Amino acid sequence: MRPLYYSMLLLFKDGAELCVNDVIEKLKPEYSNFKMLKPAAVREGLMTAQTNGLLDETRFDLDENGELRVYWKVNDYGVQMMTSYIK
Amino acid sequence: MYFFMNSNAIAAKRKADSSFMKKGVFIAIMSGVTYGLYTGFLTLGMARGVWAADWYGANTSGLSAFAITYVLAALGSGVNDTISGIWMVIKCAVLGEMGDFFRVLKTKPGLVMVTCALIGGPIASTCYVAALQMAGTIIVPFAALNASVGAIIGRFVFKQRLNGTMIGGIVICLICASVIGGSSFDGLGGTTMIGIILALVCALGWGIEGAVGGFGTTLIDYNIGITIRQCTSGLSNMIIVLPLLCMIDGNGVNAFGLLGTAFTDGGSIIFFVLSGLFAGLSYGFWYKGASMCGAALGMTCNGAYAFWCPFFTWIICGVFGGIEGYALSAVQWIFAAIMVIGIAMVGNLNPLSVFKKKEA
Repeated sequence: MRPLYYSMLLLFKDGAELCVNDVIEKLKPEYSNFKMLKPAAVREGLMTAQTNGLLDETRFDLDENGELRVYWKVNDYGVQMMTSYIK
Repeated sequence: MYFFMNSNAIAAKRKADSSFMKKGVFIAIMSGVTYGLYTGFLTLGMARGVWAADWYGANTSGLSAFAITYVLAALGSGVNDTISGIWMVIKCAVLGEMGDFFRVLKTKPGLVMVTCALIGGPIASTCYVAALQMAGTIIVPFAALNASVGAIIGRFVFKQRLNGTMIGGIVICLICASVIGGSSFDGLGGTTMIGIILALVCALGWGIEGAVGGFGTTLIDYNIGITIRQCTSGLSNMIIVLPLLCMIDGNGVNAFGLLGTAFTDGGSIIFFVLSGLFAGLSYGFWYKGASMCGAALGMTCNGAYAFWCPFFTWIICGVFGGIEGYALSAVQWIFAAIMVIGIAMVGNLNPLSVFKKKEA
């Protein structure tokens, strides 16, 4: 089993465009009992990855509940970092 | 590329971005505040109980000048970081992250964190405590140069943003930090100069640690990162640095005997429990702040500890502990305010908008 944070980043490695809810849904089967798999913590993690240049924001809209929904994609640097540091 | 946008979505997005940035700035500033509290309680702890009565006082065990300067500094730093590591393990357990803590330790980013902790922990922290003991708070602004080192490393190694205004901000912070620290000492003696040199070694160590550690927490959750840092730092201080310094001293000082005495000293240990808590919070906020708003802004906000250290040392040691010589002057207050402008320049921020709404 990988640390939660690694798995979160690796979801993006093949070029997928994902929002916070997508990430949570994909990780739920393996990490359902993790306290950190909550929207606020995941959002903060993805925004931090963006500030550090691993992910790029691609688009945003409001979901059916009127909540902000932001999508991210990995960039070349992010792929390079994941390849070198995370297995 | 934005495919669909409406004004509500844009407004919500701006709000989310701004609150993330504000939270990062707030956390980075709190890292400086808690750093001041850590320094204050550590200074008080090392002036109480067996530290004051024997080691720095009557010296019944006959410690050499070398041992009093370096061995006791490593001891204080080791006791503090170990207690801090225990606090952080508790925090990790509460957040349900102990499993990830051990999983991360076995990976490359985990090892990067351990290396970071070895540079910033035993080496830089021991230099910081030794410098503080030798020359007092004058060394703080010199240690604060780590913000510039971190920003430059962030720019060249991690390609983070650094423009003219930001460089100007860093320069202002450095000038202010120097004046705040510089106006609180009386003269440049030999001991003071050695203290300043030790503080510069510390700045280099923390600069490397801040940039690499702040970046490392992109790959590792910051709670796990800081727990690895404090545990590595505490253990390596106790097992490697302290015995090594005792060996260099050559007078047969027993490192583990000193540790036993320090950990069981009723007159001082409570202050180390507090300093350890604030040290853990401070380093944790420092890592998190730097990874949320970039190494340059994160570390410059943290650099306000050039003000918070003398301030809380005065409150804790001067007002609370009744030890004289820790009061602040008007000049120090003025330059602390100017330093806030410098911080704002590094982040291209309007300082007032940061504090307009309460952010946790």
